[in-house]
Amino acid sequence: MNEPSLLVVVQRYGDVPGGAEGHARSVVQRLGPHFAIEVATTNSTDYLTWKADLTAGLDRVDGVTVRRFPVERPRAWNFKLYERRAFRSAHTLDDERAFIDAQGPYAPELLDFLFKRGRDYDHVLFFTYIYYPTVLGLPLVPERAVLVPTAHEESAIGLAAYKPVFHGPRAIAYNTDEERQMVWRRFRNERVSNEIVGVGIDVPSGRDASRFRERYGITGPYLLYVGRIGVGKGSRELFASYERWRASDPAHDVSLVLIGDAEMAVPKASGIVHLGRLSEQDKWDALAGCAAFVMPSLLESLSLVTLEAWAAGRPVIVDARSPVLAGMTRRAGAGLAYRGPAEFAEICELLMDEPAVGDRLGRSGAEFVARTYTWPRVVDAYLDLFAEVRTRLAA
Amino acid sequence: MRILVVVQRYGAEVVGGSESHARVMAHRLAMVNEVEVATTNALDYWSWAPYFAAGESMDGPVRVRRFAVTGLRSTTFKESERHILFEPHTLADEQGWLAMQGPHTPDLLEFLRREGKSYDAILFYTYIYEPTAAGLPLVPERAGLVSTAHDEEPLRLVPYRALFQLPRAFGFLTPEERDLVHARFRNEHIPSEVLGIGLDAPPWHDPEPFRDHYAPRGPLVVYLGQVSEGKAVDELLADWIAYRESGGAGSLVLAGTARMPIPERDDIVALGRVSDEEKYALLEAADALVLPSHLESLGIVLLEAWQVGTPCLVSAKNKVTSGQVIRASGGAAYDRGGFAAALAEVLARRDELGASGRAYVERECTWPAFDGRLEQLVDLVAN
Repeated sequence: MNEPSLLVVVQRYGDVPGGAEGHARSVVQRLGPHFAIEVATTNSTDYLTWKADLTAGLDRVDGVTVRRFPVERPRAWNFKLYERRAFRSAHTLDDERAFIDAQGPYAPELLDFLFKRGRDYDHVLFFTYIYYPTVLGLPLVPERAVLVPTAHEESAIGLAAYKPVFHGPRAIAYNTDEERQMVWRRFRNERVSNEIVGVGIDVPSGRDASRFRERYGITGPYLLYVGRIGVGKGSRELFASYERWRASDPAHDVSLVLIGDAEMAVPKASGIVHLGRLSEQDKWDALAGCAAFVMPSLLESLSLVTLEAWAAGRPVIVDARSPVLAGMTRRAGAGLAYRGPAEFAEICELLMDEPAVGDRLGRSGAEFVARTYTWPRVVDAYLDLFAEVRTRLAA
Repeated sequence: MRILVVVQRYGAEVVGGSESHARVMAHRLAMVNEVEVATTNALDYWSWAPYFAAGESMDGPVRVRRFAVTGLRSTTFKESERHILFEPHTLADEQGWLAMQGPHTPDLLEFLRREGKSYDAILFYTYIYEPTAAGLPLVPERAGLVSTAHDEEPLRLVPYRALFQLPRAFGFLTPEERDLVHARFRNEHIPSEVLGIGLDAPPWHDPEPFRDHYAPRGPLVVYLGQVSEGKAVDELLADWIAYRESGGAGSLVLAGTARMPIPERDDIVALGRVSDEEKYALLEAADALVLPSHLESLGIVLLEAWQVGTPCLVSAKNKVTSGQVIRASGGAAYDRGGFAAALAEVLARRDELGASGRAYVERECTWPAFDGRLEQLVDLVAN
């Protein structure tokens, strides 16, 4: 076989939630025909504890060999303490190293594998800048490494420990121009080869809003959120804004439908409907019927589900303080951004009173996704980056 | 511009090629920039024992920040080194290499993390020691690396895999070093400048007494530097004796600290350490300088010989010095067994090769030429 070899390194892999992990899996599936591909990951599916809930050793997912290395200690129970120490301005390098280990997934055998066998692969693709496998693994194979950082503004990215991750690889595949600008501003690593690659969106042909309404008993117009429900995702602000709007404007009877696992208590307020995790088909049916898709998270490098809402032809409502979401929404002309609960309410009222506006924004979003987030373009972008790496190694 | 030079040892008393180069660079840059040095309080590289006071001091216009070395070099370092370089071992073994080798100075690293952003450019000297290998990754966005790399085993170790991908620019001492680093790390895309060195004009010196003494006995061949097996002086002595036994004439004079036994013969003279004036007098009186060492990152003594018009003989095993001799057309390189023939060739063309070497030094090693290359390196790093 003459096809080049590719090792993909990611903290969790398989049937696991998580944007970056799903991203990694769909990229592996699409790159499969072009590379002899393997995945190096851990034996955990849970990023909060890193408990070893899978068997370490060789596994297969979607027909691809997956090497699962054991997580040797769970995430530190007092991880928040390590975070506080490392994020103080007066922290030390020891604080940073302790934070990286405590955050995990602590899998030294994965590093040993990269140390001894990493150079047997033509390319090593690392997903997510922040975790132990990338921070400590990428510097073992920098000359053949491509990084998909999935980075956003957060305290951790200010640590010196991450500088080699952004300066060391042969190439970086960013998700969005906003992410790249943020990374360049922080790291001054413009000289590292890079491309805005992102992902492709697979749109199922059949989408049926009435099927969704029937199955889950949803009547009337609804706002939709899909994803993890938690403080870090901006859910608390979303609930507060929604409840304020409904209280001040009882004339609009609009529910807020939530799909996804909750890591915080969902208020029992009238109009808020939490459905938990649903199938892909249910999700697309739900997207097709929503008045608007709401994405309150500030910390996104790329919101797949926002792209999916656009692909379904629906407008999005985003927080103006999220540089990536607000920037993409502006570029796509496919939604509205709010600053605070008052603007949130105004936007909701506008979209309820003028459904044509929402439809027009949604159409514009569908065109944006069809233009940019298609698999043939994404695969070509990866192939170009990897070809560049190979040329340099062979020179 | 505000420039920081990071080097494992620093000061007029410090003996070492990279360290001397770092000090020369700091002083040249200080003529037009604000230059500081971050270094340790050690004088020697085998114990890292404290010698200088930790803290700030001035070396002329250069502000020197000395950070304390914590812990001396491990007494078992050589054994551990052999294990890591030549036996099966783990990732952790290799990662432990830096701290074990020393100089281990956590305060210097904390200083870089905390204060690094206040400098426009940070120039790191010598890839191999911890201040560079652990310090540069803390400030890659403003780092230049003067790696002074040889083709040696440690260059393969894991702490250096990423190090050579991180700086904004490299300063190499020679084109041979650049080619070695590019071949090993495939990092040609990082810009670089071949720095070489600048030289002062030789001090007043008088070659006549040496000439008067040695000329009657035939050609005068000089070796200058540490007299040790590490510098391959044992090979030189064997080559010289073979040359004499096959009918060659002349004297071999060794100038430098002796760290090995020297055979007692009339035609081999060990002078020990000599002053700068004696050095140039000896070089000018010599018919040839010979440098047998396999591992030189820049043969400064070749440049000094050429300053006074003396041709050079170098070991063909050393790509750097062989490259210098070819670029300057200032001598010849020899393989083991070819010493006598190469010496005869150089002696026959002494004046022509010496003049060519002198012209090369006058072109490449003036201070303005060196300063121009330094400025180019700083621009690559800071812009």
